[in-house]
Parts: sequence; structure tokens; C-alpha cells
Amino acid sequence: MGQTKRRSVIKLAGSAAAVASTGMAGILATGRTPAYAQTKTVHWLRWVDFVPASDTLMRKELMPQAEKDLGIKINFETVNGNDLQPRTTAAIQSGTGPDLIQAFNNTTYIYGNSVVDLSDLAEDLGKREGGIYKYARSICSDGKMFMSMPWAVIGAMIAYRKSWFDEVGATSFPKTWQEYRDVAKKLKANGHPVGQTLGHTFGDAPTFTYPYLWSWGGKEVEADGKTVAINSKETVESVKFMAGFWKDGCDEGALAWDDTNNNRAFLSQTISATLNGASIYIETLRKPDQYQTEKGTPMNKDILHSPLPAGPAGQYGMHLLQSDMLMKYSKNQDAAKEFLKWIHAEKNFEKWFVSQKGFATPCTAKWEEHKVWTEDPVMAPFKVAARLGQAPGYAGLPNGKAAEALSKYIVTDMYAKAVQGMPAEDAVKWAEGELKKIYSA
Amino acid sequence: MIEGALWRRWVFYNIPLALFVFVLLFPFYWMIITSFRPDGELYRPWNAVNYMPFWTNHPTLEHFRYLFEETDFGRWMVNTMFIAATSTLISLFCGVLAGYALARLNFPWAGSLGTLIFITYLVPQTLLFIPLAEIIRDFRLGDSPWSLILTYPTFLIPFCTWLMMGYFKAIPKELEECARIDGASRWKAMLYIVIPVAVPGILSSGIIAFTLSWNEFIYALVFLSSPQEKTVAVGVTSELIRGDVFFWGSLMAGALLGSVPVAIVYSFFVEHYVSGLTGSVKG
Amino acid sequence: MTVTALGTARVRRPSVRLRRLEDERWLALALLSPTAVLLGLFIAYPFAEGVLLSLSSAKVGDPGVFVGLKNFAKLADDNIFWTAVWNTFWYTGVTTVFKLGLGLWLAMLLNRHFRGKALVRAFILLPFIIPTVLSTFAWKWMFDPTFSVINWSLFHLGFIKARINWLGDPTLAMTSIMIVNIWRGVPFFAISLLAGLQTISPELNEAAAIDGARPWARFWYVTWPLLLPVTMVVMLFSVIQTFADFQLVYVMTGGGPANATHLFATYAYQIGIVSGLLSEGAAVSLAMFPFLFIIVVVQLLYIRRVETR
Repeated sequence: MGQTKRRSVIKLAGSAAAVASTGMAGILATGRTPAYAQTKTVHWLRWVDFVPASDTLMRKELMPQAEKDLGIKINFETVNGNDLQPRTTAAIQSGTGPDLIQAFNNTTYIYGNSVVDLSDLAEDLGKREGGIYKYARSICSDGKMFMSMPWAVIGAMIAYRKSWFDEVGATSFPKTWQEYRDVAKKLKANGHPVGQTLGHTFGDAPTFTYPYLWSWGGKEVEADGKTVAINSKETVESVKFMAGFWKDGCDEGALAWDDTNNNRAFLSQTISATLNGASIYIETLRKPDQYQTEKGTPMNKDILHSPLPAGPAGQYGMHLLQSDMLMKYSKNQDAAKEFLKWIHAEKNFEKWFVSQKGFATPCTAKWEEHKVWTEDPVMAPFKVAARLGQAPGYAGLPNGKAAEALSKYIVTDMYAKAVQGMPAEDAVKWAEGELKKIYSA
Repeated sequence: MIEGALWRRWVFYNIPLALFVFVLLFPFYWMIITSFRPDGELYRPWNAVNYMPFWTNHPTLEHFRYLFEETDFGRWMVNTMFIAATSTLISLFCGVLAGYALARLNFPWAGSLGTLIFITYLVPQTLLFIPLAEIIRDFRLGDSPWSLILTYPTFLIPFCTWLMMGYFKAIPKELEECARIDGASRWKAMLYIVIPVAVPGILSSGIIAFTLSWNEFIYALVFLSSPQEKTVAVGVTSELIRGDVFFWGSLMAGALLGSVPVAIVYSFFVEHYVSGLTGSVKG
Repeated sequence: MTVTALGTARVRRPSVRLRRLEDERWLALALLSPTAVLLGLFIAYPFAEGVLLSLSSAKVGDPGVFVGLKNFAKLADDNIFWTAVWNTFWYTGVTTVFKLGLGLWLAMLLNRHFRGKALVRAFILLPFIIPTVLSTFAWKWMFDPTFSVINWSLFHLGFIKARINWLGDPTLAMTSIMIVNIWRGVPFFAISLLAGLQTISPELNEAAAIDGARPWARFWYVTWPLLLPVTMVVMLFSVIQTFADFQLVYVMTGGGPANATHLFATYAYQIGIVSGLLSEGAAVSLAMFPFLFIIVVVQLLYIRRVETR
């Protein structure tokens, strides 16, 4: 109540001041008129794509085509991925800004109040393209509405050196954690340990620790999203195994690595495998002369990708999921919906998907069959990224509380503590306490 | 000063001074060399054999071309210039009048008002921007340069007021009194006698205000959204960084060009700038 | 008669307003009103709103309800917040000491006649006037782990054997940020202190020299006390700016690695704007205010004491 009153007071003050300063209002009015007179404009905000060719395709080909087909103007803006969230917050609070904004992961839940339901569009897409993966659904839909339109997943996979794995007799990538541990032990003995961070770093730490926890059958909370369930036999098992795995097969200096350290370590040939986006491989493709193996061959011929190994409870992954939100404040919601429909039409979306060369995996099943995946076998494992994906907060919803637990690195710290020598039971108990603080609030 | 032997002069003065100048100016040299370097040379690891940090044999204008052809850099410069100039003028107008009143007029609470204006300088920007975003929405200023032109004075006015107070205090009271005896009104005495004398002070507060608004980042980052409305600092940071990859060549070219206008303004008025700084110090 | 009466009336009418301005209080009111309107609308009002915000449960797109001091209680239990508090003090303290020391040294070096003095003085101010974001990018590039020119130089000068991971390691990242802040601040200190030095009459120093005082003693007993008032004011401005610093950390590390380099302002931004927890972000910002306020009041009181001495 108090809030509403204050709001109206501001409005009153606002209009009074606007009247008082007609000079300024006049300037604004003249500055604004042309904008209203124009054809409808849809402003689409996205990250600056990791694959430059895709942005060029959007700007030079897809957007002009959409403008022609739909009779609207499209303002295509790209910003540094880190600036997406600040821009979204400011846009919502100031009530102006892009009509469509790209969201990363479960940030959709943060902005759930301020977006338009896209259920009809999303369900339609799912029907056409063989169903939306559970992962994308859990992030884009809170069960009542689609807060955003699923776009694609930027997969995280283990990049590994084929020749070094061959040397220790692993001709295909280990299927289970136990096998992986055995192989890693031999690799470390050869001077090529596995590199994995357990530090407070946004990308590479949680994309490893969460799927690892799930694959052992552990989970943060029950499906009700309230009861903290981390303190289980399965979790304790996983923590114990991690401590051993670390000692046996990992580079022990990696405990506090950030997202870029493992790229450099891999490229400078100090580690044999690491969980990462496709960026290491891309880098070696881009500069084949610079990155070579110890035998003098191009490193890009010696890199393969694999999903994380399976545990007793299955095989999982956690990736960067991108989706587009249609904002409630937008004055062009109909045009924006039309545009979303257009860009998700198979023939248009395909152009973009092909330009990504496998770095992005679409959120519907149909695309697994696409020929892109057969063109570069090294990228092929990424085709199942979205299928194996699961969202943080499992078995509950990936909502704000899940995001808070993620940003506090509770799961990651639980493993890091055990690796540093804390008994597994104590580490799990500590995590339980921290999670309870969040979920009981 | 008392300096003594030649070697002492070198050890105690010339060498340390040269070191200071080197360290203070090196980053600018680094900007320049980076912006002219071709990518192939730029992305050589520091421990590569052919890493050649201080010189390039293949200077290129490629990064500048990218800046002007692939981004709205020209627009950003114009925007920043317009926003900085207008908000400086507004702040000067307010600051000069307020500074005059606080320094030369007797009225109740003059002292506490001066302190109050100083305290507004302490209010953290991060606390203000959410409420400001709502004000901007209610005034319908979102995504327009006016959202910055009207908010920048919040930190420029306290600064200008304090600087001008210092200047006005330094002008002898008699000057005004003579004019008043000759029959000039208070208003006229201020406008035609005192303010002209204070022009150097006004100039230096103006230059400082201009550099401060050119420097501003948070509000510009949060309040502007369309690519063509951005300021240099925001445009360069948000569009020349791609994932984990920085376009270092263009980034440095942008930083260099983005610094030129303030550097020019300042090189013309360096004396005023220095006296402005020291004026604020004595105020 | 009527004509003249009308005439005088016409002359007088505007002067009624002007006469009112003859009263100092009215004139002051008129002169202060533009400032009052702008600062009232864009600082006082948002400040009050910000305080209310910090007492609510507002999130982005959700006005929330009044929750009292709950946000502050949550902060008291937040490790990252206390890291940010500690960092802010450490950052402000260390950089201020270095800026003062180096700035004073540079001012002394400049306070004599030599060829090209004007040029040197003009050039060394550059770090201070160039937009922080842009110059910080140059530093970030110089600190880049793979392409660092600093590492190259240190290596070839024989100081290091392996790469220094400037921005990747929590302690080193903080050090790097401090280095840039000092780099940016030293010119301001130097030029202001130089102006202070130039107001000190050389005769005082010469007289002390004739009395046999060593250079160090001359500085300590003659120059420094006279320089103290200027020094204090320079420090006041520098501390305010450093304490509320945002741009430098935002560009260099964004608060990372692992939230190790957050300051008040960047953490408030992280929580309020990035994560959309508006009320908690406001609480972090507001928590900075009393700290800053106390520091400034102490400094102001000290300045007053120094000046009246």
C-alpha cells in the first residue's frame, strides 16, 4: 500500500515538473515525435556472440530479411554478456528499453514478474520440432508460463588430448567416474594430469560440481523446493570419491583456477583434459601455427570432446542456456511476437544454427539429426548437450533460491573443503547448514 | 634551491623525475603502440621468442577502421561531447549563483547549507541509481541524453559550488561596496562587478566539471540503452568485448581517441585546470 | 503630471522585484533555488527513496513490502559483504598513503627550476584527466596473463622466473587494482601539493639552512607544517573518491576472482543491479554512508584544528 502511494506521489511530482519546465519538455517532445511516427520497431538485445560470423549473419542477412518479411524495423543490439543483467534491471525499473532481451540460465526467474507469457509460441515450437528438452523447459517455464523463449545451449564438455589418452590405453573416453579416475591416475603419472578448478568461478566450477553431484544421486533440495536434501548417503559417497579422484588424477594447483586458467593450461600442454566450452578447440582452429603438440603437429587434430562420465545415478551436464524474454513494458509486443515466430521458423533459425558450427545446441530434439553434427566430428558430442543438461536447484525449480545457492558456490565449496582435507561427512553437513539458510528464508 | 654537486642533482632529482614521468606516461605509450599493431603481433604470448613489446614494424590502421565502420564510435563521441558540455553549463550556472550566495551574502543557515551541499557529494551513486531510474521513467527521459544531462549535475554542482565559494571568498568585499556606493544594486554588482572578476575561477570549474562528466560511467551504463545513444566509455566497454575475447587493438584505439577531447580542452587551459585544483584545495 | 506618474511607475515596477533582491536573504534564496531544485529532485528525494528501498523487500519488477532492518541483518551474516568492507578500507588506506608519499616526492622534484618544467607538469597530469574506464583498460591489457608486457619486462630484467598471474590471484588482483589507483592519483596529489609548496616563501627554508638545519630537518620543521592544511584537503577529496570507487574495479576484475576484490560500490552494483535484489543492493550502498561520513567528519575536524592553529 505504502508503495503505491509513493509511486503516485512521484508521478504527480513528475508531471508537475514536466509542466513547469515546458522548455525541456518541448525539446523532448520534438526529439520524440519522429520515433512514434515511424513503422513499428522491435529492439532486440543479445550478447556479443562467441562466433563473430553469427553476428554478421544476423546483421547483414537475417535482420534485413525479417524487416522485409514483417514490415517492421529491427534494432539489433549486442552487448558484452556480463552487461545483460544490469541492462535488464535498469530497463525494467525505468520502464523503457529493448523489447526482447536475452537471458542467461535461470536469470529468467529473477525477471519473471516483468515478462510476457510466451507459452503459445514455445509450445508451438516444441510441437513442430520434436519437443523442448526438459532442461530448457525447466529454465524457461516456471510450470505456469513460459517466461522466455528457449534459444540455444552453449555446451560445456570435457576437452581432452587424444594422443595422451591413447598412451595410457584409453582409446575411447572413460564412461564412468571410476574409469575416469583410473585413467587420470595413469595420466598424472605420465605428467599430464586432469585440470579441474574448484574455485569461485562462474563457469567451469559449477558446471563440473553440479552434474557430478547429480550423477551420484545427490541433490540440493527435494522436488518441493523447500526441504534441503543434500545430506544423503549418495552425497557423502560422491564427496569421498572426489577427494580421491583429486589426489590421484588432478593437477593440485588447480584448486583456485578461474575460467581462463584451464584454457591456458591446456593450450600450453600442462593438462590432458578439462571441462570447458568449445573455446579451447576454437582457439586452436583459429591459430593452428601457434598451438602445436610436443611432436610439432597442429594441436587441433589432437583434441576431442566428451560429456562428463556417468555415475551410479546417470549422466548429466550443466550448460549456458540462452533464451529471449519479451518485456512487459514493451509497446510493440505483437510485433515482437511476430518477430520471434519468424526467427524461430526452421528455415531462418537453421541459417543461424549452421553459422555456429556446433558451438550452440538448439533446445528442441529435432536438431540432433542435423548434418552440422556430422561435418566436424570433434564437435559432435555437443549435439547432446541440451539433452543431458539439468538446471541448478534440482530437484526443485531453478528459481531465485537456487540461483543464490549457485552464486555462493555452496556445492563447489563442499567438494573443495573435502579435497583440502575436511572429512566428507563434515563437508556435507556444512553445505546442509548453508543451504538451509537460503531455503528457509 | 640548494642542490650542490652535479651527481647529486642526477641521483636526487633527474633520475627520480625521469622514472616518475616514465611510469606515469607508459600506459599511454602502450595504448598507442597497441592500437597500431596488427593482430598477428598483438596475440603473441609474452614468453614467445618473437614477442616485441615496444615497437612494431608493421603499423596498421585496421583497428581504427573497425572502430569507425563496425561500431557507432563517431556517434558516441558526439553524444559524450553534447552531454558533457550541456551538463557542465547547467552545473556552472547553478554553482556560480550558489557559490556567490554562500560566500558573500549574510543569511540564516548559510554555513549549514554549505555543509549540506558538501554532504550531497558523499551520497553513494550506487544508492541513487534505482530511485533515479524511476524518476527518469516518470519524466519519460529513459534512453535519452537528457537522463544524463539532468543527473550529472548532482555530482557536478557540489563540486562547482565549493570551488566558486573559494574564489568568491578571495575577492575583496570592497570591490562590491564601491559599486554599491556608486548606486549599483546588489544584483548588478554581482553580475557586472564580481562575476567578471571570477571568470578564471568559472573557467577552471568548467574544465573540471567537463572532465568529470566525460569520465562518468555508472549512470551512462545504466540509463542509456540504444547503441546510438551511448557514451564513449560505455560504448567501448560494451561492444568491443566478445565473450572472453577482447578486441584489444580497437579497444585501445577507442580509448586513445576517447581521451583526445579532454586532453585538448585541458591542454588549452592547463593553467586554469591547475589553479582550479589548487583553488579547491584551498577552499 | 499623469504622464510622469505613469513614467515613474513604469520605471519602478520592475525595481520592486529588484528591490526585493536588495535584501540579502531574498537574493540568497533566488540564487540558491536552481541548485536546491536540482539537488533536491535528483539527490535528496532519491536518497530518501533509497533509504526506504533498503528497508523493503523490493526486487526487480516487484515493489516488495516493508521489512525493517532485515536486509541489514542479512548483510551482517554475509561473508562477501565483510570482505568488501575490509577491502574498501584496505584499498583506501594503502592507496592514500602511497599517493601522498609519492605525490609529495614528485611535488618536491618539480618545485625547482629546470628546462621543460611546464611541459613535464602538463604531461604528468594526463593520468588524472583521462577517463578512468579507458585508462584502466590499458592497464588491464598490460596485466593480461598471457600477453603481459609487465611480465615480459620483469622476466627480462631477471626479477621473475615464471609468469605472474596478476588478475587471477585474489591478493595480486587487489594489488594490481591499487597500483592503477595510485598511478591515477599521484598526479593530483603532486600538482596540488606543488601549488602548496609554491606558497611557502623560500626565505624560510634558506633561513633555516643558514641556521644549520639539515635538509630533512628543514622539511620536517619548516615545510611540512606549512603544507599540512593543503595536504589534508587533498586527502579529503582523494579519500572520498577512493572509498566510493567503482569504475576501476568494475573494469579490472568485476569484483573477482571469487568475489575477492569487491568494494562497497561494486558489491552494491553486483547485488542490486546485476542480481536484481534492489533492496539488498540499496542496503549495501547505505551501509557505506556512515563509514564515509565518519571518516570525512574526522578529517574536516582535523582540518579545522590545523587551520586555526
